[in-house]
Amino acid sequence: MTWKYVCSATDVPKNTLKQFDADGIMLVVANYGGRFRAFPPVCPHMEEPLEESGIIANCVLTCSKHLWSWDLGTLSMLGETEKPLKTYDVKEEEGKLFALIDKELVYEFENSDGDDDDFFK
Amino acid sequence: MKITVETKLESFQFPGFPEETVLTAGLAAGYSLPYECATGTCGTCHARVMDGPIDAGWTDAPGYAKLNREKGDILMCQARPLGDCSLRVRSNTAQPKELTPAAIKRIGRIENTRRLTGDVIHFEVALPSPMSFDAGQFVTCQVASLAGRRAYSMVNFGKNLERLHFVVKRKPTGKFSDWLFENHVDGAEIEIVGPLGRATFRPGEERDVICIAGGSGIAGMMSILEHASQMHYFHRHRGRVFFGVRTLADAFYLEDFAKHIASANGGLEVTVATSHEQVATPLHPQFSSIGIASGMVHEVAAASMTDQWNNAIGFVAGPQPMVDATLRVLIAEAGLRTDSIRFDKFS
Repeated sequence: MTWKYVCSATDVPKNTLKQFDADGIMLVVANYGGRFRAFPPVCPHMEEPLEESGIIANCVLTCSKHLWSWDLGTLSMLGETEKPLKTYDVKEEEGKLFALIDKELVYEFENSDGDDDDFFK
Repeated sequence: MKITVETKLESFQFPGFPEETVLTAGLAAGYSLPYECATGTCGTCHARVMDGPIDAGWTDAPGYAKLNREKGDILMCQARPLGDCSLRVRSNTAQPKELTPAAIKRIGRIENTRRLTGDVIHFEVALPSPMSFDAGQFVTCQVASLAGRRAYSMVNFGKNLERLHFVVKRKPTGKFSDWLFENHVDGAEIEIVGPLGRATFRPGEERDVICIAGGSGIAGMMSILEHASQMHYFHRHRGRVFFGVRTLADAFYLEDFAKHIASANGGLEVTVATSHEQVATPLHPQFSSIGIASGMVHEVAAASMTDQWNNAIGFVAGPQPMVDATLRVLIAEAGLRTDSIRFDKFS
């Protein structure tokens, strides 16, 4: 597990999100009111690219496709959201953002490869 | 025949019929099965057949492209049972959260078609049995000569109505709108399934109301305005309507807007946004109580959403890109929480 450089803190203005390649791992960095979160680049619901569909407002990440949303402070699920948001730890040092990455965080989607015989996964 | 549905939390049964989709049969039995469009596009009503014979229905429906057909996945809005069958539905629960009138199938007749503008048509459907539905609900429609179902919001609302009112905007590749516009369709049979949809106006919530619609997405908003006007809702809450059209000549329902504004005692504001015409004045030349502004409807709404609207319920309807852009405005600019937004997307 290592801290990998992602971007400069100024690359992601307040209340926006942006996708980066951190040493081969694609992730999205969100700036919510001056604090940062880093997470996989797709919505855990239906794989929408969050760089396009994501909205940051009032410390909440919302995917505009079906309005799944998470409180970025507590990471609690809001409204009708059914899956937690996976995140990488983030630290800021001298204006640079680093994410703690062991391996790429991925979600299980219904059509992903492998056996989905139980359907309820 | 019996349809057994297993969800993540429970299992239940309801009667199935070979001429009725699984979704309609389940909704008619009072189970809130998951769905959004109910017309084969969104894929929300997908299920997996575990046992029993099923006709998958319209397998060319766009929603089928996302499914694993080899594993027995179906769209409940398209599939019909051919015998007892059991399904799995990937939702947490199917127990009704609130009592809604059951959706059933009726064969109605088209009546009173009339053009509202060059490419907008009003029509009514006379029903064989009355239907009760809330402002903001929709039905799916099918005519014998065309494959697939379409979803349309009613312009009217009420209890035990024998007539549904609709408005349809002609689309360049719309087979149903071509059929409506190019034929004399009064008297034609039309299959109606509904009422459907949870994007309804609930006056008991006592909240301000924002309606943002593109084109014929205004249909459901008109039923909301009518309901609100009838109960003088805008005497105690604010209402804000943004109606997106290409040019001023494409706007319709202007007399209805003027009537609602007049009865609202200043509580209701309506703005028509023109995406393809620069307007010179801030008010409509014939209907001076209606505001006009140039631009995409979500941009026009964003420019007016800077003041206190974060306690409002937002209703959004229209073409998908317009809905997506508008949701962004309501969340990021107006500060609405996601559970305060109700929307329908057309595909």
